[in-house]
Amino acid sequence: MSSISSNPSPQPGSPLSLIAELTHRCPLHCLYCSNPIEMQRAETELSTADWKRVFQQAAQMGVLHLHLTGGEPLARRDLPELIRAGRDAGLYINMITSGVGLTEERLAALVEAGLEHLQLSFQDIEEMAANHIAGTRAHAIKLALVPVLKKYPLAFTINLVVHRMNLDHLEEFIALAEELGPDRLEIAHVQYYGWALKNRSLLMPTEEQVMRSLPIVEAAKERLKGKIHLEAVFPDYFGSFPKACVGGWGRQMMLIDPAGQALPCHSAAVIPGLTFDNVREHDLEWIWNSSSAFQRFRGDAWMSDTCLSCPRKEKDFGGCRCQAFMLTGDPDAIDPVCSLSPHHGLLMELRVSQPEVLPIWRD
Amino acid sequence: MDLNSTPKLAPGCRLHPTDSILLIPEGTLNLTGPTREILSKLDGNKNVTTVVTELVAQFEGADAKEIESDVLNVLSRLQQRGVVRA
Repeated sequence: MSSISSNPSPQPGSPLSLIAELTHRCPLHCLYCSNPIEMQRAETELSTADWKRVFQQAAQMGVLHLHLTGGEPLARRDLPELIRAGRDAGLYINMITSGVGLTEERLAALVEAGLEHLQLSFQDIEEMAANHIAGTRAHAIKLALVPVLKKYPLAFTINLVVHRMNLDHLEEFIALAEELGPDRLEIAHVQYYGWALKNRSLLMPTEEQVMRSLPIVEAAKERLKGKIHLEAVFPDYFGSFPKACVGGWGRQMMLIDPAGQALPCHSAAVIPGLTFDNVREHDLEWIWNSSSAFQRFRGDAWMSDTCLSCPRKEKDFGGCRCQAFMLTGDPDAIDPVCSLSPHHGLLMELRVSQPEVLPIWRD
Repeated sequence: MDLNSTPKLAPGCRLHPTDSILLIPEGTLNLTGPTREILSKLDGNKNVTTVVTELVAQFEGADAKEIESDVLNVLSRLQQRGVVRA
């Protein structure tokens, strides 16, 4: 019994963002895809009417941003209709896309429907290397799309996904992005969930690589100030304190998968024993307030005494539950990224381990 | 940013219809003081001088010089952040 005060069942505020995984179908097969290993099949996908209802419910709850993702959202023929429904409900519409299949005609229709922000990721500088990571020939298509995108009134973000195989030429990678001239640039280290976890030994950079990259990012931030807004996230495997994963479990965001299951984060399904309610059976507000999966790690009742007595618990909310489970087998464990975790040594080992050589592309 | 600039919100940035927040890619900016009022006047045609004149007319008794420096200050800051273009 803990003598430290806890707050077991706080009333949740409203979520701020809704991630809509419209489909798990994708022309790319990236080695680091965050989709679950068990992907939803096309025939289980929600209907247009289901998604429209979900968007209206989200806006009524106070959600501000809708993130359309996948898989590849363009695989949904009803995408313009979905965008319009989200905008009409009052949501800010962001789309994360591979760009494969995005003709100018289709883009114009999406913008006309209300698309406000588009995110395109690049896998590497050289075409061969980039296509190797993506598991398909997408690099040239992405490059060709950029000048078309810039003709339209929407925010455009380039996402550079970095890992062991490309972190050493980050400077050139940033220069490529700079030349393409986005409004925003994100430098995103691979996060080790889903397919990326399978390929972790291949993708995880060495500590020296990470340290060398930090001043490069800082210099780019300074150089691009007022021109391109740069955001970079330090890879948490190299930290001493965990990240505030998804802003805290059940605090800021909800994710709906292609089949309508509501999850507190991209990879929550890896945690054994969680049951996910479906938007086909419940409205979003009920799910947010009452679904057992959202309650499971909300507040601090699940925390160890180490976390309960730690002032950082209001900052990182106990870190990432999926990561704690994947690395220790216990979803209630202290996130091993934390230097106070008895398992922190696992990460110290990973930082120096040698790569295996066989890549596993997602289906 | 100067008095002759014609600022407007960057693509993918818009004011929330009721609240004092600016919706931007991947987030929101809380708008304090007169910032919402200033941004609501930007249309890409008016220059900063016109925006200041409109605000002075709107806020009776306010000091024109003070408003001018506030407006330039706010807009320069938001331009640095990439959400206003001039």
